[in-house]
Amino acid sequence: MQQITLKGRAIVEGRCKAQALVSTQPISFLGGVDPTSGKIVEKNHDLHGECIKDKVLCFPHGHGSTVGSYVLYSLAKKNIAPKAIVNQTADPVVVVGAIIADIPMIDQIDINQIRTDDIVEVDAYAGVIKILTKRESGASCI
Amino acid sequence: MYLTKEEERIYDGEHGWANQTCMKILVRLGELFNATKLIPIESAHISGVSYKTLGDAPVEFLETLADADGKVRIRATLNPQSFDPEYLGKRLPEHIREKQLNILRQFKKMGFTQSLTCTPYYLEKPKQNSHLAWAESSAVVYANSVLGAWTNREGGPSALAAAIIGKTPDYGVHKAEDRKPNILVDMETPFQNETEFGALGIYLGKILGDKIPIILGLKDTSEEKLKQLGAALATTGMVNMFYHNIRPERERIEKISVEAEDIKQTIENLSTTSKIKPDLVFIGCPHCSLDEIRQIAQLTDGKKVKAGTEFWVCTSRHVKKRAGDYVKQIESSGGHVLTDMCTIVSWTETLGIKTLMTNSAKTAYYAPTLNKTETVFAPLKQCLKEVLKG
Repeated sequence: MQQITLKGRAIVEGRCKAQALVSTQPISFLGGVDPTSGKIVEKNHDLHGECIKDKVLCFPHGHGSTVGSYVLYSLAKKNIAPKAIVNQTADPVVVVGAIIADIPMIDQIDINQIRTDDIVEVDAYAGVIKILTKRESGASCI
Repeated sequence: MYLTKEEERIYDGEHGWANQTCMKILVRLGELFNATKLIPIESAHISGVSYKTLGDAPVEFLETLADADGKVRIRATLNPQSFDPEYLGKRLPEHIREKQLNILRQFKKMGFTQSLTCTPYYLEKPKQNSHLAWAESSAVVYANSVLGAWTNREGGPSALAAAIIGKTPDYGVHKAEDRKPNILVDMETPFQNETEFGALGIYLGKILGDKIPIILGLKDTSEEKLKQLGAALATTGMVNMFYHNIRPERERIEKISVEAEDIKQTIENLSTTSKIKPDLVFIGCPHCSLDEIRQIAQLTDGKKVKAGTEFWVCTSRHVKKRAGDYVKQIESSGGHVLTDMCTIVSWTETLGIKTLMTNSAKTAYYAPTLNKTETVFAPLKQCLKEVLKG
């Protein structure tokens, strides 16, 4: 399979390799994510019930409460934060959360290229994402 | 980003760890969003005050800042906490009260005004065209759109950093060219009440992302209805501001129209049940203005709150003090005018509240997850009809 590389903008530096969890919908960390389990609890959300712990969490942008920054910080302190955050557009609320929680973050990425369960390598020094292993159903589309 | 000599000294740690940490947050943010400098702000307003939504980890962050002599340099106000000290405080366990009071002590140590309201503009109206660093998304939209002040939608920690430094990075809606509207919203059906303004905000927030709309066709607007609209816009979007009923400067602008059916659907979706027998009827998200309290007082006159139902009206201490006789009227009917707190960041679950009725679209949106309640979203008059008898 051909390896796909996506170039965006580095926001919080760091590097990781993990499974992607991809949403087509914006996320509000306050109210949208259970701070004790790391599960998405917002009703009617396409990731409802999914756990964001240790995932490369890809979503278009943040929305809603400005307390969301602190929720990200709490998740990180409890070791249930995502390994990295990948956005289409950076919401200042998510940015500040990622800064104080020290979660690698990249924006300006076409997240439609990434599918849930893809194994991705995030280089948030260079602002680059490599999709290493495509999920089965995704692979058939290439 | 250009830093003055003094700012550089702060950045390098010459003014201590707290100042350095805050400066680093601001510079990092500024550089990401292409700010060329920091600008002085008239005031800061901080979110993340309730122990319920903060939890323990961020409190350690606050304690470290306060212990390292973090001090605000400008007027800086606080969002609501998780209970009012008189009515609900007494019904909550000691450890919850103590943890919340500890948070307030940290903020006090740093010099914050204990405003404990999401409507700081009722305490002191920011000047037109003044630069602010406000968190509390509903207040951000209100400040930009109704009061004509200039503030980005700050995350809690960046508003805190701005309070301590007294400045904010010059980007986003601090720049005149980035305050220009870029989408035209045609609202075809006239609205009857505040819930429709709220529903429009919820609907549009999802579509707009961070765009700045001009909303055409809004009739019978009041500052309170625009407050509902703005609070809801920021709930589902990244929206900083809106314009209403002005003509765009340029001809070529993206246009969308909102149909009556869209609003009807949104209102229906904001209720999780049609079964109307609420444990709690809550008015005051965002916190009530004096005028709203007067209206509630008039509607409760000669009536009593039904047994087994709570009726809360939330506002700031400041407004409650000015609303003396209205407060007496509401309380003589069996309602509670609560200050310092916000229902969606309060301990409703601990108090056994399972169903909630409100006229606030923002509350209706958050309550099912933050309060784990069944929720009914309805206009003020319907809410009062439900909670009152006689």
